[in-house]
Amino acid sequence: MSKKSRGMPRRTFLKAAGSAAAVGAVAVPQIIPSGVLATPNRPGANDRITFGHIGVGGMGGHHLRDIVSRVGRGQTHVAAVCDVDDRRLENASRTAGPQADCYRDYRDVLDRDDIDAVVISTPDHWHAVQTVHAAERGKHVYVEKPACCTIEEGIAMIEAANKAGIAVQVGSQGRSQPEAYLAHRYLANGNIGRVHRVDCFHYPSPSGGTAPDREVPAELDWDLWLGPLRDRPFNPGYCHGTFRWMMESGGGQIRDRGAHVMSCAMWWMNADGTGPVEVEATGEAPTRGLWDSAVRINVTYTFKNPDWVLTWNQPGDPPPPEERTGREPGGRISRPGYGAVYQGDEGTFTHWGGDGGTWAERKAREWEPGPNAVDVYRSPGHMEDWFEGIKTGKKTIMNVEAGVDVAILTVLGNLSFLLGRKLQWDQSRREIIGDEQAQRLAGRPQRYPYAL
Amino acid sequence: MEELTLDLLIEKIQSSDHAERAAARDHAGPVGARAMVPLAKIAATGELEIARAANRAMQNLVYYAGRPGAEDEAKAVSLELLKLLGDDQPMQLRRDVLWMTWQIADSQAVGPVAELLAIPDLHEDARMALERLPGEEATAALQAALATAADEDKPAIAHSLRVRGVEVPGVPDLRLKPVKETSVQPVGR
Repeated sequence: MSKKSRGMPRRTFLKAAGSAAAVGAVAVPQIIPSGVLATPNRPGANDRITFGHIGVGGMGGHHLRDIVSRVGRGQTHVAAVCDVDDRRLENASRTAGPQADCYRDYRDVLDRDDIDAVVISTPDHWHAVQTVHAAERGKHVYVEKPACCTIEEGIAMIEAANKAGIAVQVGSQGRSQPEAYLAHRYLANGNIGRVHRVDCFHYPSPSGGTAPDREVPAELDWDLWLGPLRDRPFNPGYCHGTFRWMMESGGGQIRDRGAHVMSCAMWWMNADGTGPVEVEATGEAPTRGLWDSAVRINVTYTFKNPDWVLTWNQPGDPPPPEERTGREPGGRISRPGYGAVYQGDEGTFTHWGGDGGTWAERKAREWEPGPNAVDVYRSPGHMEDWFEGIKTGKKTIMNVEAGVDVAILTVLGNLSFLLGRKLQWDQSRREIIGDEQAQRLAGRPQRYPYAL
Repeated sequence: MEELTLDLLIEKIQSSDHAERAAARDHAGPVGARAMVPLAKIAATGELEIARAANRAMQNLVYYAGRPGAEDEAKAVSLELLKLLGDDQPMQLRRDVLWMTWQIADSQAVGPVAELLAIPDLHEDARMALERLPGEEATAALQAALATAADEDKPAIAHSLRVRGVEVPGVPDLRLKPVKETSVQPVGR
């Protein structure tokens, strides 16, 4: 293989691999066909799925280990790992195994005909561009949440995914947790009456980023890390992990965890496909430092037909976490600092967490459905649900429309905070109404060639 | 916080008390367009945190003046921004001002922004601003730029035109073309 580790068209490779095997070579990259395809780009029900991993630090490392753990079960094959940080890439290579090619440029992964699906775990400002480009190459996509940083990015994701007919799963995995099912079923059966209000709570975003700009570390391709964002000098307070506290990328807790907690709310309220008519936010930005995401932010989302209100309260007034034995479906509550309180006509219901840890209040866990009870979809697991989507074409639990619409909630909240005014929203057109500047800020220009 | 006058805003934005600075930053909007140039001077020359507060106060002016029904204020702020695009200003400030310009300006900004396409350090920021500015004038400026651009600059300008709905035959689309290589080899191969 060349230094660049580029993939080659499957047919060309098979010829080359055959030659290599004939001379006893063993350390060749395994490029394994996807198997008998039920439809183009769709592996058959019993076929393993071939993956490329784009962004392999943080959650990307977690996803890579998860996918690798399924190799022995014949479910998966990892053909490529990709990162703009060479240290992270080398670590990922150790995890993925010698058959996985290493890349810095995600477009090399998308060029590989043998790859069925990509897992995108890059910083938030890359999610939409890489999802759209992957769709244009016919790859199925698992993309970390939040799905997008702007409304226009989200709309482009939906259009690209639908045009390509790919399965997209957005990484708001709270929907797939065992206690999420119990909570959903409890609410869907009217145990607290009609829910008219959901109050999300979360502790504040941090202040910080006080270090000055400095030289780019040798292992990092800063140009590619920034990607669509406008150029700026490297700063250690604005890179892996810390991008979360910059408005143009992570957008703070409301976008990070809001994409989890509000995802549960939209799912359990049967509100996917709907949106608010009005969004109003107040808050406080950090008093100093590079980070500019709101430390405190309160947002009210008003929904109509049916009428209900969703609020994001950062911080809110978190209820004390329940005592647990640890034998509950979700185990002990390890993250009591965020969740939501559901207000119904006949009672309330609380959950904590909303991401990989989602904990439902005892009454939902202990509720026994009667013979006429309504059941709700029970996810087999967030990855498994995506695999089903890939193989069968069924809609995933956190499909692209749902993921984008939840991300848009968080984007609208931040935009209302920044502009200092209430926004009107038309969900049917995914468009801000009556505010020319806010409409302009529904998108932003992107650095070329890292653009939608 | 008390309503800020221009003098009070400029005084408080330079305060050594970060909470006071932040309050001035957050309440800068109603002071209006006349605050833009004085704030820019502080943003360009002040100590890091003071410069940052001044820069963000400028952005808050843009957001406030862009509210519905305040078209005259938006125009006034836009004109002040255009004064800050000249070569008498530091490069980073000009970049930041270009970013604010597309958020509020109308076609009056097209000429001054398009001129910056000729400056290599500002070319990409100016292209991005033009991509987002409303009106046919911005499209025409991009078309004119495409006609005279060096070959390596054409794909980006063509992209901006395509975003604006203009067909640009003959100029390659490089968005999906990989160009970056790693030296990392698969471990254990």
